[in-house]
Amino acid sequence: MDWYLLLAAILLPALSAALCFIIKNQKVRIAIVSISTLILFAVAYGFIVLLLRAPEGKLVYQFNESTLEVVSWIIKGLDLVLFSYIAYVGIKHKKAIVVVLCILQVIPWALFEVFGVFGKVFEPEDAFVIDHLSLIMIMLVSIIGPIITFFALGYMKEHEHHLKLTVSRQPRFFMILFVFLGAMNALVMTDNLSWMYFFWEITTLCSFLLISHDGTEIAIKNGLRALWINSVGGVAFIFAIILVNSSLGTLSIQAISESGMEGAFTGLLPIALGLLCIAGFTKSAQFPFQSWLLGAMVAPTPVSALLHSSTMVKAGVYLVVRISPAFSGTILGQLVAISGGFTFAIASAIAISQSNGKKVLAYSTIANLGLVICCAGIGTRTSIAAAILLMIFHAVSKGLLFLCVGTIEQGIGSRDIEDMQGLFKIMPFTTVITVIGMISMMLPPFGVLITKWMAIETAVDQPLVLLLIILGSALTVVFWGKWIGIILTMSYKPKFHIEKLTFSMEAALTTLIVFVMAASIGIVPLYNTLVKPQVVSFVMQDKGSLVGEGMGIWLRNMDKTVYGGFASIVFFIIVLLLMVAIPFFAHRLKPARLKPPYLCGDNASDDMRGLEFISPGDKIENVVVRNYYMQNVFGEDKLTTGANIIAGAIVLIILGVVIGL
Amino acid sequence: MSINNFLIAVIAVIVSPLLGGLLTGIDRKITARMQNRQGPPILQPFYDFFKLIGKQDIAVNQTQMVYVLGHLLFAIGALVMLVLQQDLLMIMFILAFSGISLIMGASSIRSPYSKIGAQREIMSMMAYEPVLLLMVVGVYKATGSFMISGIFEHEKPLLYSLPLVFLSFLFILTIKLRKSPFDFATSHHGHQELIKGLTIEFSGTQLALIELTDWIDLVLFMGLISLFFAQPIWVGILIALVCYFIEILIDNISARMTWQWMVKTTWVAGIGVALVNIVWMYLIP
Amino acid sequence: MGIISKSRKKSPWIMHYDCTSCNGCDIETLACLTPMYDAERLGIVNVGNPKHADILLVTGSANKRNSQVLKNIYNQMPDPKCVVAIGACACTGGIFRECYNVLGGIENVIPVDVYVPGCCAKPEAIIDGIVQAIGKLDEKAELMKNESK
Repeated sequence: MDWYLLLAAILLPALSAALCFIIKNQKVRIAIVSISTLILFAVAYGFIVLLLRAPEGKLVYQFNESTLEVVSWIIKGLDLVLFSYIAYVGIKHKKAIVVVLCILQVIPWALFEVFGVFGKVFEPEDAFVIDHLSLIMIMLVSIIGPIITFFALGYMKEHEHHLKLTVSRQPRFFMILFVFLGAMNALVMTDNLSWMYFFWEITTLCSFLLISHDGTEIAIKNGLRALWINSVGGVAFIFAIILVNSSLGTLSIQAISESGMEGAFTGLLPIALGLLCIAGFTKSAQFPFQSWLLGAMVAPTPVSALLHSSTMVKAGVYLVVRISPAFSGTILGQLVAISGGFTFAIASAIAISQSNGKKVLAYSTIANLGLVICCAGIGTRTSIAAAILLMIFHAVSKGLLFLCVGTIEQGIGSRDIEDMQGLFKIMPFTTVITVIGMISMMLPPFGVLITKWMAIETAVDQPLVLLLIILGSALTVVFWGKWIGIILTMSYKPKFHIEKLTFSMEAALTTLIVFVMAASIGIVPLYNTLVKPQVVSFVMQDKGSLVGEGMGIWLRNMDKTVYGGFASIVFFIIVLLLMVAIPFFAHRLKPARLKPPYLCGDNASDDMRGLEFISPGDKIENVVVRNYYMQNVFGEDKLTTGANIIAGAIVLIILGVVIGL
Repeated sequence: MSINNFLIAVIAVIVSPLLGGLLTGIDRKITARMQNRQGPPILQPFYDFFKLIGKQDIAVNQTQMVYVLGHLLFAIGALVMLVLQQDLLMIMFILAFSGISLIMGASSIRSPYSKIGAQREIMSMMAYEPVLLLMVVGVYKATGSFMISGIFEHEKPLLYSLPLVFLSFLFILTIKLRKSPFDFATSHHGHQELIKGLTIEFSGTQLALIELTDWIDLVLFMGLISLFFAQPIWVGILIALVCYFIEILIDNISARMTWQWMVKTTWVAGIGVALVNIVWMYLIP
Repeated sequence: MGIISKSRKKSPWIMHYDCTSCNGCDIETLACLTPMYDAERLGIVNVGNPKHADILLVTGSANKRNSQVLKNIYNQMPDPKCVVAIGACACTGGIFRECYNVLGGIENVIPVDVYVPGCCAKPEAIIDGIVQAIGKLDEKAELMKNESK
């Protein structure tokens, strides 16, 4: 049973990928995607059941020596294929830096793995270990992933129709998506750092292929940028592997995570951890490596939703969270926290100046990943719990929001926020879901805010980090508030327009919004069953604890006294329901009581919407109001360079510190 | 929630609007006296409130009431959490929801005035939010707890350890209460220039509920001020009243400034001053 | 209805619209709000927007251009509402009555409840006009109730 699940999680997507590519028929593809979706749901469910029953809170898949060797050599072989392909891409598009970085990875990799120049390679026998953190990631990949893939069925049809393609490129598209899902599942399950590296590189390649999927000049340019920046992370990763192997004598990720309390934070290990963090930064598009994620927004929206917000970029923060117990409470931890906090604050600030919806989402993604990394760096059990919870909430909400923007873009033909005025009238279904999604990113009682609250309360011992989080959360409110205001704009309508969406899009949006709400309402059970066992099992110093009781969460000191918390999440939910229910049932507005908006009495007609007014020259003019974007303060061109310099400096400081330790 | 807590919450929800209305009435009277006028009766805010309830309900779209209720209910929620001595940081976040709800309502209306008001209100939120959060951090550094109950258990009044945070809190209180020089989103005076900005398209019951929320907010902020001198609490209340008088004075002697000026000053002076205080709190072992 | 009816009398919010006044009446109207007359002691607040107003004060005569605006403003006020015409021009058209573009007094455009004569009307007279209008508000409220039934 166990083994079947493992194989299903990794190989089934690979199989679906092959099928999608071979069989070009649209109907068959729908069948394949639907069946894979259901099977992946079942796999995720199977893992949940298995893990909750498991006695030590983890599932271990042990390979015997001969199998281990065979699988190991297979992966090495595939690694080589991967390198060759990346080098080929670099040569084909005449991008020297891709080739150079590829060679920089191949040489140490070959010397280490194939020729054994740096000593014996200690491959752990427990090749796959699934604990609660892995399980959460599996759930994100195997539940949200298929939902978005399913959404893509409807979206890509419309998308290709729009591009006027003669030969459909969907087989290729869905193949890469499925390869990605398989690789991602494997990435979070494996306990072997060098295997993880292989899957990590696959996701990088998938990202490149999907960003450049449309084949336009800008798509290929941005895809290549993603490829080379992620290759920088790859270089850091491969050197980290070599250092871990020689300092700890194993490649087991669990061993790295447990090394912190054993006083092993000396010698080569800090350098390895620092490099791993930098690899995580590139994957999670932290400043100064953020530019590839912004460029990645040219990809079709399901790609942005799946890879560039909810799952692939989570691989970076997953790695950092995974190894965070090893550097908890050290100077490295503090620097990582500062770096994450800086990204959080600055990305939120730049988001204010953006009027492109997808760009805002991209910056918000960068910001939230920054907050996760910041929480991981703070390094208390509470903060790591906050980091894990934020990963969950962010993945669900942001996946949803990207899909919403994609739907809106197909509906109104623009992704500019200003064009979304009065969206409520054209697309009421999507608008309501979008607004709930946005509120879930910034306001109570939704999970993202609760994690922000936890982050602030646990960061109080690190003033600089704290200040960054505080500034970031104030700025976050601004850009979401502005956007929500625009799409909620409406005039009176006697009857709501019924919106027509394809089944796959509607189903995906509905499912995700249900998940968003369920996750927030069930934050306490979610914490108690999935997150708490994980943070408790991390080997690190205890500095207070986080307790979920009833429907509330409490923060406790070392001596068990409560120093923060709230009693019940139900309270907020009742309030939210009341504010919608009272006007709906008790305060129905009669059409007779409608008045047009006040335009100094110069409304041009009896039109209730008040779109036009008579200007002094007796001309009829349109009423136009735009949001504040404050380009001259928060503009991308104003802040990016400075932010990159500061963030680059922090990265260099991290490197300098870990080498000097 | 025990029956005792429940009673406290109910009493607070009933008493605070009365108190807030009364304070607003006193504000109007004092303002009038400062301008050498006789001024309206102390109960004037209540007359306004009930008159508005009796007006015809008109609206521009059918969703407005949702946001007004959100504005009111979340303010009540924050108040209940305050009197039950809950987590201070959570109270700030809930207050933010209350504010955002009104902003969403104002910008959901196709009126240039209400949209501009909403934008300005977002800007003031951006300005005061960090200071509120920094205040919470300062309270934690002084008492070792985020719970308001922790402040009451703490022997030394907070004002001794957080004088500068208190100052910057007073500064943003001017923004929060929409007093001059920061009353550009919507104003208690100057109805002509702003045409009431944020609240222009809310009338009748909706406007009454917004007024009600303002009263609750006022009581809530008075409560937060009195936390700075929680032992004995009557000194705190006295200080809160004095601060309120100062706010009225500032309101009457200053002109309205631009929002750019406000954001700049609050981020530089407000956050700066609070930070200085917090830095020394960190340096005290 | 007791408390609402009482409050209605104590809190008349006014909105002031200048049609084609020579500004004489406007100045006198605004003088009502100064410390000298302090209309706020009666709860009178000069709001700038019809959505909040109970009483519309109009100065100057109606003409072809502003009659549309006047109508709009009047329509945007929530019931119960009263209109006070201030000054000779607003009441009858005054000396501009025969002008080619003037429609006459504002009663030709919207229903007027109280006429305050004078050129220009004195602040005392204006306040008195407002108070008279307050008296009419209750009637209007009755009317509004019957209408909604």
